[in-house]
Amino acid sequence: MLKLEPVIWGLFSGGMMIGGILLPVYILVVALGGGFGVVDGQALGYDRVFALATNPIGSLVLVAAAALPLWGGAHHLRHLWIDFGGLKSDGLVGGLFYGAALVGSVYAVLAVLRLHG
Amino acid sequence: MTHAVPRVDAMKPSKPGPTRTAPPRPPDKFPGGGRYPAYLAFGACGAFLMISASLLTRGIWALGNGEAAWDAYRAGLGHPAYLVYHVAAFLGLTWFVLRLFRLFPATQPYRIGPLKRPPDAVLVAGLYGLFFTVLAVGTLFLGGAML
Repeated sequence: MLKLEPVIWGLFSGGMMIGGILLPVYILVVALGGGFGVVDGQALGYDRVFALATNPIGSLVLVAAAALPLWGGAHHLRHLWIDFGGLKSDGLVGGLFYGAALVGSVYAVLAVLRLHG
Repeated sequence: MTHAVPRVDAMKPSKPGPTRTAPPRPPDKFPGGGRYPAYLAFGACGAFLMISASLLTRGIWALGNGEAAWDAYRAGLGHPAYLVYHVAAFLGLTWFVLRLFRLFPATQPYRIGPLKRPPDAVLVAGLYGLFFTVLAVGTLFLGGAML
């Protein structure tokens, strides 16, 4: 387990950094710009977004932005739970958060791989 | 003058037994006073990270299902509930990452590789610059204003 520690901490810190840097771009352009109709429809059209997402760099960015933040988020929420007196149920709650991060990461990788299939 | 050597086993119990420790309890000002509200809000932003990443994955999945599914995903983002969530998530995540960057220098060693660590203000300014550059360039690029 100790050998895995750098990997695990890498997931947490990478999740915070990558999530904090990349997700605001997605939210601003796709979710808010698209949602409010501010962004040009062609820019977010299927053909252009598909081409960007299937570009090797685009795919890597998508995997990083969709998978890593789950780990950073799970780590924060687990510790929030402990701060509010949830130490006794930490095993269960921590397992649920990290389990969700694991399932979500696999799902994100599969979602990107499907684009290439 | 000689000094008495402290005994490292001065508190050793006379016989083995369970360690008696006080039960954990929150600090006096927790959760509403001092720096705790900001600390807790920072932790709560983990929800924005998890939910937003999941919504992004849903979008990638829709993209893989074809044009009709992608258009339906985009149309769904126009729902008021999504718009309210995403405004909150954008503000929350921006505050989260800027606070993370302000805390970052304190986590770094005196030397980073062969180089002496730059002054904290330089480190923070560099990270802020990185964030706003990625936000600006990413927005222009993804929004179709570049390329």
